[in-house]
This record gives sequence, structure tokens and C-alpha cells, in this order.
Amino acid sequence: MIDKNYAHPEVLVSTEWVAEHLADPGLRLVESNEDILLYDMGHIQGAVHIDWRSDLQDQLIRDYITPEKFAALCEHHGISNDTTVVFYGDKSNWWACYALWAFRLYGHTKVKVMDGGREKWVAEGRHLTRAVPHFTKGTYRPAPERLDAEIRAFFDQTLAHSKAGKPLIDVRSPGEFRGELTHMPEYPQEGVLRGGHVPGAASVPWKMAVNDDATFKSADELRRIYEEEAGLRAGDDVIAYCRIGERSSHTWFVLTYLLGYKNVRNYDGSWTEWGNRVGAPIERN
Amino acid sequence: MDSSYPAPLTRIISLFEGLPDAEKRESLISYADSAPKQAPRDGETFDLEDIRKDEECTDTVGVYMKVTPDRACTFRITLGPQVQTLTKAMTSILCKGLAGSTPEQILEVPADFVPKIVGADLVRQRSQTVYYILTRMKSAARVWLNRQRAASHH
Repeated sequence: MIDKNYAHPEVLVSTEWVAEHLADPGLRLVESNEDILLYDMGHIQGAVHIDWRSDLQDQLIRDYITPEKFAALCEHHGISNDTTVVFYGDKSNWWACYALWAFRLYGHTKVKVMDGGREKWVAEGRHLTRAVPHFTKGTYRPAPERLDAEIRAFFDQTLAHSKAGKPLIDVRSPGEFRGELTHMPEYPQEGVLRGGHVPGAASVPWKMAVNDDATFKSADELRRIYEEEAGLRAGDDVIAYCRIGERSSHTWFVLTYLLGYKNVRNYDGSWTEWGNRVGAPIERN
Repeated sequence: MDSSYPAPLTRIISLFEGLPDAEKRESLISYADSAPKQAPRDGETFDLEDIRKDEECTDTVGVYMKVTPDRACTFRITLGPQVQTLTKAMTSILCKGLAGSTPEQILEVPADFVPKIVGADLVRQRSQTVYYILTRMKSAARVWLNRQRAASHH
């Protein structure tokens, strides 16, 4: 457990803690990356791979899988309803936080993130293996429905939020926020027709929340960023967004678990929906 | 098979096309593992060196091209540590697959072989950098041809 005055220190574990708990029967490590083949190049012993696109998303329409399919995915990886799932991955845990957020959508509450992610584990020279583990099938009772209403925002809700002047956090790069870029720096264009941001949104790039070694900043530092500089207040009803919802799930994790905000939603449609939507209001400044 | 692929690349594509997905993945990992071996070796000299960090790739890529008197190309490539695994695999595949081609043949190589090797599931909007190495090799071939043309006019 890592305690930098976080609201929920129990959700963040160190690389050292993970190394000491590799054999815990009630624990499953899940690696989730942007680099599709990175897990195959080597992963933490006992870790399974869950891919944001092929495992968690519906393969036809832009949405997440059903609770039944999620239950089947978990059972396949030996995850039951009471299994503690520890997520880690590349890109300072973007996709780990995305996978954690998706697990929460299906009501899985026993979740943790390995602070510093894959980068820190590798930087510390810790062991990686290419052996893919196989576990006895789990027993997973699917949730009656996804918790979309609690932690996920849709276009109409985000529009209403903007019109009501409620807090919106745009976690993309400053260039994307200002409308100068219609793609993420160093990434290909993902098909957005208009640049800018949702009216009223504050720009707080996701990267502000992490240190150079990919670990999360302390709660005091995070409060300075999100509250003193961006104007959020404890108890606010917040929507975070980026381009497809992965960087904003990182910020969702920070606000929800590290700062203890109780009403934070991730708008996963994000700018690839908003910037293409006919008639959606846009601000550039 | 498209006849515009150079013969070594055609052989690699044929090999991948016959593989089930799991083995395709293993082969890609094996090619990615051998990416460091595609770097310039001690004592090698080149006709063209192009080392840069482009906006569309996550790290610096160096392309080194040598052209023999009978116009056969050899490529060496260096990759920064942040380059994605698929890009590493494609580096090894293209260094081997385009070895011996002329600059003109390299410019004609269509990019449609990538999904045949990688598989549709692994080609994503965010993984377009798998095409990047081919683009850089073509760019080197184009520069070399332009220099040749300019030299022949003097």
C-alpha cells in the first residue's frame, strides 16, 4: 500500500508489494497496454493480458461488452467476483486505469493499480517472463447491468454538464485543447473533423498527475493541480474526457481514488465523438 | 501474390499468411527480438543516413541505406527505446524483405502487405506506425534517386 495522503491508499500498490505477493491465490495481475505485443515480449510472472480493444470493447459497435461477456472474460483468466485484481501497463498506466475503470463498470470493486506501471517495474530491473499463465476457471456472477450511470458519461450528459457550467476536465495536450491539433502529439490522426474543446472545460493534461518515473504525485501535489489551479472542489460532479477515454480514465482514477471525489464520470466518447458530432458546440482559446 | 513485392518480402508474407494467429504473433515477437541486429555494424559505411524523430512516431528512428553499383539496396535501422513492438518487428521484416531491391523497386512496394503479416486484429488506428518504417525506407530511396538524378545533370 502507498500512502501519500491519498483518500484511498489501499488502491495503489508498489512494485515491491507486487513482487512480494506474486503467489497470493486471491490476487490476479492484469497487464493492459497500448503496445499490442508488449505483453508477449515479457510480463510479470503470473500476469494475464487484457486488451482494451479486443477484450473489453464490443467488436461491432462502439461500446463495451455485456456483463455476461465480461464474466466469461474474467472466468477465462481465473478471476472470480472476490478476486483482487492488480492492474499495470505501459504509458504510465493509461490502459491499466482504463481497464480498472472498465472493471468498475461491471461492478468489480476489488481493484488496485501498481504505481509506476510497467516502466517502473522494468526500470528497477525486476524479472519479466514470456510464460503465459493458465489458471483454473474462475466463478464470476455477472452484474445485472453495467454501472454506466455512475462512472460513465455520454454525449448528451456531457452537453448538459457544459451548459450547466459544471466542471469538465479536458486531459488532452494543450495543443489539442486549443484546437491547434486534431490528433495526439506523436500519434496518427484518429479521424476528428474539428479541433477545440467542450465549452467551459478546464485543461489539465493527464500527465500533470504523474512523476517522471510514472508514479502518481502526492495528494497534496494533486490537490494543488486540480483544486488550486483548475478550480475543482471536493464534492464536485466532474466529467473528464480526452480522445477515446483512456487518458481520462487515468484522471478519473486520480480524482476518484487518490483525491476521493465521489462523483466523477469518464466521457469515453470523448473528442472522437464530440469533434465529429454535427452541431456540437466547440470553444477554442 | 502481388508481383510488385520483392522476392524476399514475398517469401515472408507467404510464411505469415499460412500461420494461425498464435504462431503469427510468436513470429512477430521473434522478428521484434531481432530488431537490434538491424542496426549498423562496426565499420559499415552508407550512401545515405537519415536519423530523426517524427511527429507520427513515438521515438527516434535512424535509417541507413547503402546502394551497390548494380543498385541493390541494403538497409540498417536504429530504433529509440519507446518504439512499439510491431514497429520493431516490421523493422526486421523490411530490412530482410527489401534487401537487394533497387531504389525504384522500393518506391513501388505497396503497403497492403502489412495486414497480411500482422493480421487485421493487430492493425489499429493507433498502430499506424507499423507503416512508418516502410515510409522512411521509401523516403531514403527517393532522396538517393533525386541525388543521382541531380548528379547526372551536372
